[in-house]
Formats: sequence, C-alpha cells, structure tokens
Amino acid sequence: MKKLDNYGYMFIIPFFIVFVTFTIYPILLTFYYSFTSYSGMGDPEFTGLANYTRLLTDSYFYSALYNTLYIWGINFFFQLGIALLLAILFSDIRLKMRGLNIFRALFYLPNLITIASVALLFSILLGWHHGTINHLLLDLGIISSPIDWLNDPTTARWSVGLIGAWMWFGHTFIILMAGISGISKDYFEAALIDGANRWQTLVKVTLPLLKPIMLYVLITSLIGGLQIFDLPMLITDGTGAPQGSLNTIVLYLYNQAFRYDNYGYAAAIAYGLFVITVIFSIITFKSMYRNNVKEG
Amino acid sequence: MKKVLSLSLVSLLGFGVLAGCNGEGSDGGGSDKDTLTIWSFTDELEEPIEVFKERHGVEVELTIIPIEDYPTRLRPVLQSGQGAPDVFTGELAFIKDWVEQDYWEDLSQEPYNADELEGDYIDYVFDMGKDSEGSVKALSWQTTPGGIFYRRSIAEKVLGTDDPEEIGERFSTMDGLFEVGEELKDAGYRLFPDEGAVRWFSQGQNPQPWVNENNELVVTEERLSHFDYAKELRDKDLTAFAPEWSPAWFASMDGKINYNAGWDELEEDAEGEKEVEVFSYALPTWGLHSVLKTNVEETAGDWAVTNGPNPYFWGGTWLGIYSGSDKKELAWDFVKMMTHDEEFLKDWALETGDVLSYLPVTEQIKDEFQDEFLGGQNNYKFFLEEAQKIDANTVTRYDQQIDTLFGNSVGEYVEGVRTKEEAIEEFYNLVRNAYPDIKVPKQ
Repeated sequence: MKKLDNYGYMFIIPFFIVFVTFTIYPILLTFYYSFTSYSGMGDPEFTGLANYTRLLTDSYFYSALYNTLYIWGINFFFQLGIALLLAILFSDIRLKMRGLNIFRALFYLPNLITIASVALLFSILLGWHHGTINHLLLDLGIISSPIDWLNDPTTARWSVGLIGAWMWFGHTFIILMAGISGISKDYFEAALIDGANRWQTLVKVTLPLLKPIMLYVLITSLIGGLQIFDLPMLITDGTGAPQGSLNTIVLYLYNQAFRYDNYGYAAAIAYGLFVITVIFSIITFKSMYRNNVKEG
Repeated sequence: MKKVLSLSLVSLLGFGVLAGCNGEGSDGGGSDKDTLTIWSFTDELEEPIEVFKERHGVEVELTIIPIEDYPTRLRPVLQSGQGAPDVFTGELAFIKDWVEQDYWEDLSQEPYNADELEGDYIDYVFDMGKDSEGSVKALSWQTTPGGIFYRRSIAEKVLGTDDPEEIGERFSTMDGLFEVGEELKDAGYRLFPDEGAVRWFSQGQNPQPWVNENNELVVTEERLSHFDYAKELRDKDLTAFAPEWSPAWFASMDGKINYNAGWDELEEDAEGEKEVEVFSYALPTWGLHSVLKTNVEETAGDWAVTNGPNPYFWGGTWLGIYSGSDKKELAWDFVKMMTHDEEFLKDWALETGDVLSYLPVTEQIKDEFQDEFLGGQNNYKFFLEEAQKIDANTVTRYDQQIDTLFGNSVGEYVEGVRTKEEAIEEFYNLVRNAYPDIKVPKQ
C-alpha cells in the first residue's frame, strides 16, 4: 500500500497564506467594492450595478483607454523596432559584432534608473521656455519658436511613448537576443550555403522562428502598457494634462480612488481594465496563432 | 526527526509571514509603555520631539510619510486601530474631512477643555480644528497667511523704492499689480514666475467656498476673473514661464534664468540668448523658510514681503490625539507643548521664525522680530496682521482637488487650446466626474 502523508502541503502553506492575503483577498474585496459606493471612510453602501453602468457611459474612461493605447502603440512600435534592429545586427554571423556584453548593459541601463528620476530628467529636457531640447533646436535653427512638448496633446503622448520605448528597448533586446541564440545555427548556415542574402535570411529564417518570442514580448508589453501609470503621473503631477491627453486608465483609476475618494467607482474601473486586458490578450494570441497555422 | 524539522520550518516561515503583516510597529501603544508614536507629513516636528523627550524622559517615535501618500496610508490604520499612532498631524487639504471623523479625540471634553483656549489663537486657525458641531478636534501652533515676496534691489531700481509699505500700496489692487508689471517689463523684468501666482488674488473681496451647504458648486464672477487675469498676464508677457515647483521656478529665485523666447522676440532684442529675472512670488509664511531660504544664495538679504490685493492663506499643520490611543495623557502633553507652552513656543519661534498662531507668545515677540533674509524686515508683524483678516468659512474638503481642476482649465485657456466658455464647461464636467454628488451650475 502506498503511504501518503501531508508534509507536502505544509511546505506550500506559507506561499498560499501570502497569496491569499495579498492577492486573492484584495481581488475579491475590490470586486465587492465595485458594487458599492465607498469613500474610504465609514462603511461601503451597496449600489448594485451603478458603477458599471456609469463606466460604460463615461467618456473620460473611453478617452483614457484611447490615450493608453495611443501611448502604448508608440512605445511598442519603437521599443520592438529598435530592439529587433539591434538584435539582428548583433546576431548576424557575417557581421561578427564585438562588445555584446557592454552594449547589452548599456542598452539596459535606462531601465535601471528610477522612474521618478526619468520623469524629472525629461521634464527638464522637454521644458518649454527653459528646456534643453528647445534650446538646442532653436540654436540649430530647426524651429523658430519653442515647442511646449508636454503641453500639447500630440507631442505629450509621443513624448511619453518614446520615453517608455527608450526605457524598455534594452529589456526587449535581451529577450530577442535570447530568442535568436535559441535558433539553431544550422538554419543560418544552411541558408548561407543555399545562397540566401541577408534580407532573405532575416525574413525567411530569423523572423518566423522568432515569432513565439515576439508574441511573448507583445503580450507582456500589452499587459504592462495597459497599466501605464508612473510616467504620466509624475510628468503631469497626476492631472493627466494637457487636455487630459495623458490621462491613462490606471491614472484615472488612481485619481478616482485616492484623489476623489470614489473607491467604489475606482474598483469598477479596475475590473473594466481587467476585462479589456483579457480581450486584447485573446485577440493578440488568436491572430498570432492563426498565422502560425497558415504557414505550417 | 523529519516531522519535527518540517514542522519547525513551516512554523518559522508562517511566523515570518505574520510578522510581516504586522510590521508597522507597535499598535496605538500597549506594548511599549513609554513610547509615544507620532505620524506626520513633514520633518518640522523633529526638533520639538527632542525637547519633549528631554523634558519627559520618554521615547518618541516619529514616522514621516510624504504628503501624497499620507491620507492613504493613515486612513486604514485609523479605521482598524492596528498600528495607529498616538498623535497625528493633518494638513489644510484634508483637515475638513478629518475633523468630522472620530479619528481625533474630542478636545473640548475633560480633561483637555480646549474650548477655554479659544481666545488665545488666531481665529481662523482655531476654527479650522473644529468639527461642524463646534468640538475641537485638532490644534495648530502656526498660522500660514500669504503675501508677495519681492526683490528689494529690483524694486529700488524700477519702482524707486524698496519699502514694503509703498510697494504694498501699489499692489493693493489688481490694476495696481498689472501697472507695476508693465513697468517691470519695460525695465526687462518679469512680475511673476507664472500665471498661477494670481490665483490667490482673483477672489478679490468676495471669497466664497467652492461648495456651499446645498452641495452646489459656487462659481462667482470673481472666481472666473482668474481666467482673464491669467490670460492678461500671458498676453502682456508679464511672466517668465516658470511654473510653480518646476526647476526653472526655483532657479529664478536666485537670479537670471534662461528664456527661450523664440525668433520673433530675439530679433527685436538682437541678442543671441535672452535671460530674464523675476521680481516677485506669491508665497505664504512657510514659503520663506522652506522655499526661498533653502533655494537662494546669491539673493539672500535682497528680499522683502508685502501684501497683495487681498489676504489669503496656504497650507498649515494641525495636531490632534488619536481617539483610540492608550497614552492620551502623554499625547496631550505633547500637543500642549507644541501648541500652547509659552516657554517652548517662544524658543521655537525665535529659532525658526515660524509664525505662531498662539497670541500670548506672539504678543511678546512680534515687535522685536526681524529677519536678515528680508533685509531686517519684521515679517512677523506683517503676517500676523494678514492672519487676522482670514476667514476659515470658505475652506471646504474639496478645495485642493477643485483648485487643481480649475487651475488646469485656466491653463488651457491661457495656452489658447480652449476658449473661456469651453474651458469652464470642461471644468464643470471634471468636477461632476470627480464628485458626482456636487451639483454644478447649468450650462
């Protein structure tokens, strides 16, 4: 007869205590709050679906979703573009680039700076009448009057998107490099022998085999990107200005909860964001998967 | 053996987790008999705490939490009583909310009898610490009226005098303020760092609360004049584009700052690069100590303070006892020392220059006071007079947030991205979005 004992469970108890206390409990509590009107003081008052009906008709929520996707789109395009270009250069067996370790560290460096410093740095660089970038552009004669980068909806969104790309391309680069080194050298050598040029090697060998990694990068970046909060928060001092163009979903949620004390509504926004994240993840996954099947 | 080992390991890990949950230190007292715990959002209590420790032979544990997180961190602790401090401070931005809760001990009761102190404080300061039923929940040692700090050397050069009385006379109306602004501009200076500086003065002689007792948003003509004044400042080029708290703002206090004016203006001036110097800043009492003095080297001693078109106040720290504390006696001793101990407050005021709200002490020191940073001016007397003119009835729990929303709307109008009507409408929408219960005016 097999001897069963419960020691195993004991070893995993600590994890579950932490998991239930700090993850499951807040998630369920937030779900409960999303059906109440709760100001953070006193007791929550049950209001049924009121928060969700408000959410569905809230133009600020939709504009926050638009802002978030706008910023994430710019961020992702440049982050992946730069990282892919660099990864291809560094992995090219004909180029034999040196100093990969040094460059990898350099590319990753922006990610190590605390976000508060990054925000301060860029608000100085991008300042209007006192900003370094405007100084430079004026001196070079590229512009004739200073541009208020962070006070115009378009340039503000682009600025935040590009700062994000600058911070994260090193991270993506490392992941893509790992993906490329995971591809067997045989394929590249075979392609070389078959007379494939660089472009053909890239399009026919590297990119298709890199697809699972890029899917991973896409989904993690999307989930992270939908939660973008810190940069807009710090750059706009939480206001989401100019004209609400940096008001992202999580910033909106934060303001509803911690500025205006509408904890119930903020909880509903959190669940709204959750649903949106799930939908986007499914769409991305499905479309990527379908392409794979077609090619296969 | 195996069993013993695994059990002890598990309990060790489990204990670690529980200890982690409890990590915020002792709860409301209990464990440590002689330790008073205090929570605040500034470090200004550090020195008084040293004095208190020495006097009472007790330990004091001060936890400082940045103002942005302060209400969010404090609220759950007060709500549950777990790890709550014995004494905690409140800032103007949320004091209206907090005095209505049961978090602070009612100081009107025995043995505190704080009602008896009423006449000893500047009226508005004492009133702010009361709840809607008139019970005193918190006290404050300071008063924080505002003024306009200006550079003496520039005043002398452009306006022909650096006397605070005479400058104050010229600043006593909005028109006067703009007139001075024009004169300064002609001489190459800027009146204010940015348009936000006039927000304190656009309420004029008719200050009203943002939200009245019927929960309606009150938007007076005077309030709306902020749009026009800010626009006028921008259009007439009377500011230096250095927004409050920006690096440029701080830099402008200590001399000239760079100013990318654009080609149109550069051609006019025929200089490569333009620099500009700011004349004055609208700041309250604490602005002198924690903004000007800490950021200025070159211009120290070249400052003076005077009145603007109307009195205003900005910020302030109140202090009360946690109602669930089990060291209320010791806590009250600390509050007493901080808010109405003549000996301590006198030393404190003379050392730091903090403008007190406790009249028995201010009466003693106000006539002798002078500050070298302000060229020997007696700012104490000036601020005390300003403080007497302040009415606490216009403060509501919504002020900080609604002020921010309003300021943003004004900014959008000044930038020219919205018309005045659009900006006002957007302001109403934002208020309705933030506080669905508030009725906004019909559009």
